[in-house]
Amino acid sequence: MQKRSLLLIVIALMAIGVIGVGTEKLVVYTYSSFASYGAAPFIEEAFEKKHDVDVQFVATGDARMMLTKLLTEQEAGRPSADVFIGVGSVDLSMAQGRDLFIPLTGEDVPNLASVREDLLIDPTNSLIPYEHCYITLVYDSQVLTVEDIPLTFEQLLDPKYKKMLILEDPRTSSVGLAFLLWTIHQYGDPGYLDYWRKLLPNILTITQGWSAAYDLFLAHEAPIVVSFSTDTAYSVIEEGSTRYKIMLLNSQGYRSIYLMGIVKGTKQEELCKELLDFVLSPQVQEMILTTEWVFPANRETLLPVLFYQNAVFPPDPVMVPAERIGENLNRWLLEWAGVIVGG
Amino acid sequence: MWEARIKRFGRAALIVAPLAFLALIFYYPLLRLFQEGVVEEGHLTFKYIGEVFSEPYFRHVILFTAKQALLSTLLAMIIGLPWAYIFTRYQFPLKDTLRSLTIVPFVLPSITLAVGFILFFGNNGHLNQLLMGLFGLKGPPLRLLYSLKGIVLAHAFYNAPIITRMVHAQWERLNPAYEESAQALGAGRIRRFFEVTLPLLLPSLMTGAALAFIFCFLSFPIVLALGGARFSTIEVEIYTQFIVLYQHKLGAALAIIEIALSLLFTYGYILLEGRFTREVEVTYTRSTVPLLRRLTLGKGIVWLFIGISGLLFLGPMASVFYDSFTREWAGRTVFTLHWYSYIFQPQYEALIGAAPLRSVVNSFQLGLPAMGLASLVGLPIAFVIARYRFRGRRLFDTLVMASLGVSSVALGAALLAAFLRPPLELGSGWFAIVLAHSILAYPFVIRAVVPVLEGLKQGLVEAARSLGATRLQAFRDIELPLIRRGLLVGAVFAFAISLGEMSATIMLAQPGLKTMPLVVNDLRAARSFGGASAMSSLLILVTAGAFVIIERFGERLFGGTRWSR
Repeated sequence: MQKRSLLLIVIALMAIGVIGVGTEKLVVYTYSSFASYGAAPFIEEAFEKKHDVDVQFVATGDARMMLTKLLTEQEAGRPSADVFIGVGSVDLSMAQGRDLFIPLTGEDVPNLASVREDLLIDPTNSLIPYEHCYITLVYDSQVLTVEDIPLTFEQLLDPKYKKMLILEDPRTSSVGLAFLLWTIHQYGDPGYLDYWRKLLPNILTITQGWSAAYDLFLAHEAPIVVSFSTDTAYSVIEEGSTRYKIMLLNSQGYRSIYLMGIVKGTKQEELCKELLDFVLSPQVQEMILTTEWVFPANRETLLPVLFYQNAVFPPDPVMVPAERIGENLNRWLLEWAGVIVGG
Repeated sequence: MWEARIKRFGRAALIVAPLAFLALIFYYPLLRLFQEGVVEEGHLTFKYIGEVFSEPYFRHVILFTAKQALLSTLLAMIIGLPWAYIFTRYQFPLKDTLRSLTIVPFVLPSITLAVGFILFFGNNGHLNQLLMGLFGLKGPPLRLLYSLKGIVLAHAFYNAPIITRMVHAQWERLNPAYEESAQALGAGRIRRFFEVTLPLLLPSLMTGAALAFIFCFLSFPIVLALGGARFSTIEVEIYTQFIVLYQHKLGAALAIIEIALSLLFTYGYILLEGRFTREVEVTYTRSTVPLLRRLTLGKGIVWLFIGISGLLFLGPMASVFYDSFTREWAGRTVFTLHWYSYIFQPQYEALIGAAPLRSVVNSFQLGLPAMGLASLVGLPIAFVIARYRFRGRRLFDTLVMASLGVSSVALGAALLAAFLRPPLELGSGWFAIVLAHSILAYPFVIRAVVPVLEGLKQGLVEAARSLGATRLQAFRDIELPLIRRGLLVGAVFAFAISLGEMSATIMLAQPGLKTMPLVVNDLRAARSFGGASAMSSLLILVTAGAFVIIERFGERLFGGTRWSR
């Protein structure tokens, strides 16, 4: 009997450990890799020093999960975020047209003036860019030599690459979606379906997300993976290895831009603007560079030598406009899946 | 007179309270979400459901989802049943500990499991490398992954423990007299098993199979990672609709179809279970044979089986451990403690509270209350199902299982949306997650307890009552000790569900509330694959320890001194 009541007490005690509330809060939704190991801890510390505010990063999932969370809260009329960092350009259409974010001008965010113009893809500037990267193929140079690698989409269909490709599912991964959009950009709609039909024999597997695909690649299960053009910089700087190299199909790379915005309904609009401006400052931009392994949005950011030498900037970046994605995405994903399972 | 009424009222409350709880926390949010799939502008519509069925791709996916789940369940039974036999029949050192550890595979985040499988069974994995080295082969001899085989193997890894634990809980209570009479009548060992023992074990075997089937039916990261290019399940489509396209109508329609199929299967199993359950004598004197002494042919086969299935379970987990101690540096693999120092570094002791060690504490702070709550909800319902006869009992039994068959992505979305509005404004955070976890976990308590409870002779309770015990006393002193293993198994699985759950946790979590699997995910997203392996290893060790302790503690808690062996 005593043991039973002991258990009850334990359970009751666990029930009490709830989190307390602080002073003025600024809640920032972002994706987990940005918050835990990216620039977030630095931003939080530096910003709190300058302003009397408690910056709270909420990042329980990936960028899409967080956007879903934001949309659900907004629908219920109870948005709890003030700022959202991490709308990918492939998901831009999902965020647009829902009146989610406050439109911004150069006056609101002075550092916007130094941002590369080709990154400003939201006409209302409700979402502004803070980083960009390029989806491309990465290969294992111990398996494929420079002469071996395909240089065009057509060459990638060669039977000598049978089961050599690791891809991400465009339905669950934004990297996978970028690659699908790239093929649509290249072959048009519905031409891309034919391309995928021919590509099938060369695919080893299609994973849920980028990390599973890259893990397979690192376990040497197949020598080609869809990943980022900055991966070489990462492996040189963090792993001291030049084994993994970038291949550019048709000298292209699919451009992926990450955007941020101020959530409508915030009570601290001015502070939010200052925060966005701070994220665009060279100081934070440099930090983003080597924690996220992407290119900075601010042109005035200095690139570290090793990063500059090893990260590949594709000569011919491509992108499908958000509007076109919004109109067709549902159908594209369905058609694509039909080809994959049906052959 | 009043006393009797109060008692009756108390008993009714015991049954009504958990049902009211479920109605409010589970059925209401779910139906709120589901109505988006079948109601448009105030009218009932089957447009979206029809859209799913008229699309050949969706039909294909639904059929494939069922097929892979069926094959996976079969393999899980083939592996799980012999282990139940081994635990029942043999005595060996550390048996209790090993039995507690069988649940560990069940809590692995699916992505960690996929990585373990790739590292061990992959074309370039440890197993193939070993075989290539031993026999001087040029190519990998075993091509298990990136096909249906890979999916089925990984699902068996996850679900065989359910079969083992469910069947074992019933088997060790089975009176050997039945088998002994068959033996006396001249039935051979094999005939005895198939004609006497197996029919008696069918309720728990079917229970385990039903749970395993539903799990495989809802699985998706494993199907994508290990299945190769051509495989996909309904759950992937639901994820796409809710998370990528944010289109609730088609998503809800898909989720309705998914849960309907899961429940249809559950209903079928409950019908079967009803047919096979018989009241049998309980026993505490099932004798065991030492496994280590005197090798016979039978024991040889057992050892062979232990070896092969051990490879399936230990291989992937050992590969994750190995991975956590190695690092690629300048093209060579070196041994290192780098990843452990990385996850324990105070610099990540984030301002945001996502520090790995903190996540261990979080996982327990969520898991233990969820386990308690799931038991409190599940036990009375199990009691109702096993002890009362009423119209629609089987339908009731099916409906209380609904939370297992619901898409985790849809459930996460449903709970988040409902918790933001009246009448359920719980918001998100600790409390909301505990509620969500307990909803996902209580069916395990029900399923673990019902077969054992139904197998108990009612005469025992009646005898106690004729000696003056109240119904509650009879339950506490007679039934509870007898079903303790079943309840414990259910509770431990409930705990495991909470530890491993991700979708609802992601939706409802607040800063500082990261659980262990979420940290594994974070580390992977941040390119720290070694760190993720170190965190996964930590997760395996911590949960293994927890299972052993909970079961030890629980045995004593429910056992009472009178009944201990």
